[in-house]
Amino acid sequence: MAVDALAAQPAQPAPPGPLRAFWASFSENKGAVGGLVVLVVIALLAIFAHVVSPYSPYEQFRDFTKLPPAWEDGGNWQFVLGTDALGRDTLTRLIYGARISLFIGIAVMATSVVVGVLMGLTAAFLGGVVDTVIMRIMDLILSVPGLVLAILVVAVLGPSLTNTIVAVAIVYLPSYVRLVRASALGELGKDYVTASRVAGVGTLRLMFVTILPNCLAPLIVQAALGVSNAILEAAALGFLGLGAQPPTPEWGAMLADSREFIRSNPWIVTLPGLAILVTVVAINLMGDGLRDALDPKLKRS
Amino acid sequence: MIKFLLKRAALTLPTFFALMFVTFVAIRMVPGDPVEVRTGERGISPERLAQFRHELGLDQPIWKQFLDYVWQLLHGDFGTSIVTNEKVLTEFFSLFPATLELSLSAMLFAVVLGVPAGVTAAVKRGSWFDHTLMGAAVTGFSMPIFWWGLLLIMLVSERWGLTPVSGRIDLINYYFEPVTGFMLIDALRSDQPGAFWSALHHLILPTIVLGTVPLAVIARMTRSSMLEVLSEDYVRTARAKGLSPFRVIGFHALRNALIPVVTIVGLQVGTLLAGAVLTETIFSWPGVGKWLIEAIGRRDYPALQGGILLISSMVIVVNLIIDVLYGAINPRIRHGR
Repeated sequence: MAVDALAAQPAQPAPPGPLRAFWASFSENKGAVGGLVVLVVIALLAIFAHVVSPYSPYEQFRDFTKLPPAWEDGGNWQFVLGTDALGRDTLTRLIYGARISLFIGIAVMATSVVVGVLMGLTAAFLGGVVDTVIMRIMDLILSVPGLVLAILVVAVLGPSLTNTIVAVAIVYLPSYVRLVRASALGELGKDYVTASRVAGVGTLRLMFVTILPNCLAPLIVQAALGVSNAILEAAALGFLGLGAQPPTPEWGAMLADSREFIRSNPWIVTLPGLAILVTVVAINLMGDGLRDALDPKLKRS
Repeated sequence: MIKFLLKRAALTLPTFFALMFVTFVAIRMVPGDPVEVRTGERGISPERLAQFRHELGLDQPIWKQFLDYVWQLLHGDFGTSIVTNEKVLTEFFSLFPATLELSLSAMLFAVVLGVPAGVTAAVKRGSWFDHTLMGAAVTGFSMPIFWWGLLLIMLVSERWGLTPVSGRIDLINYYFEPVTGFMLIDALRSDQPGAFWSALHHLILPTIVLGTVPLAVIARMTRSSMLEVLSEDYVRTARAKGLSPFRVIGFHALRNALIPVVTIVGLQVGTLLAGAVLTETIFSWPGVGKWLIEAIGRRDYPALQGGILLISSMVIVVNLIIDVLYGAINPRIRHGR
């Protein structure tokens, strides 16, 4: 792991283990720790959604439609955060929404990291025409504004959760390819790589075992921020009606669903957006901390 | 300099061609038959259907369709909207000023607030202002702007009644022919009392919504860039020379700190255009973003194709201009390659 380099700083008399060194640096940043705590809570809620949520996200209580949260006038403690226009429990839908949003974020990140690493390493190792073609394709993707590209992809494939993941993964692919290619090129000229080559290490082993681990630090940072971007983008697609389709309790789609009640029942509109904001802020705060801890070169503040 | 410029411009050509190819192929793959959309659900005689297909060129082999398409593009013909029967280029450029006005206004908002805020935070590093600003910045660029827009409408427009909910101007009281397409300028030119204020009123909320993410990014970038510059030797020298802090920060340091900020402003163009899609949808702002979303709903292939091509071309051209400007500001880049 790249954190080894951090742990092996000569200035420290007895170098602590890489994980401890990482944690020591990470926990200095209070915002990052706060973000991590909030994120863990949200993740636990998402994983155990079927246990912790009071109802089913699709169950309609026709006698209790458009209730405000319990502490407001006319609220009902049966439905702590109120109900939507069809009488579905908002708290339940938000919790299930966390499951969907986190899943989208992680799926997008995993897809674009895997494809990005493969393409980035290929471009760096093969060079020449392959490199040029790959990088020109990435330039092309970058030239179309993210959301517009995602809209195009979804328009072609049809709106659904899976296609949202594909679309957003394509949008964020270039940043990983560029990052991996640049750091791999940086490593390629170093002595340890030459030494491995002389020792007769094959190209594939060289790519994935020798070089890749040394490119991990910036990749991890990018991946963390990639999750939050993916969540935002997917919610925007959901809001435009091009992402997850109703009645799926996806936060963006919930917002779009409730737009007409903006005047009469502001809570139905406020809560799903707040859920998106809190999740994304938590991930971004954690990402900042990761960057400071893993990648001292990028440390800016 | 000219050589550098030509070289950078030539590098974008393959991207343009690839863009044409991709939009062409992608739009063919969109499910739904454009002829059916145009003729409606009732169905028409097979002869009329064949005639329609022929008029739209859909009966040609696919490679021929592509070559025709490129040929037309090179002649400035971006196709005709299937729904409105208008030239896509005409339609795009009649709506584009609205998007441009909104984007420029949002960028201005972001720079005017973001740069001073970032500088202040850097100078007063570690102060409550610094902490508050950085907290606000993280919130700002994590903002789902479609929700932010709805929230502002809910508070500012509905509850406090301060700003209008949608549109560019109060159409009941003011009407004039668009001349520049910029509502603020047209309103001033119209000599109708109050028209300008009405247009400005309509612009406020969309500007804030679209400008929030760039504002956060610019404030953060200015702060970190300023912090870096403040520790440089020449700043110390300037201080040692006895220059006033205001002069050191405002003149010597800021000038150098702004170089990365200029790049960031350029990179925000794509973000702005993508954000415009959402902002225009929320505020019923009659720009190209809203038009693009509507084109998807109507399965208006040529409009979608032309629109995406035009928007992307703009991003490419703006990035090219930024690159060249950057080369002009910073000689190291011009001569380095």
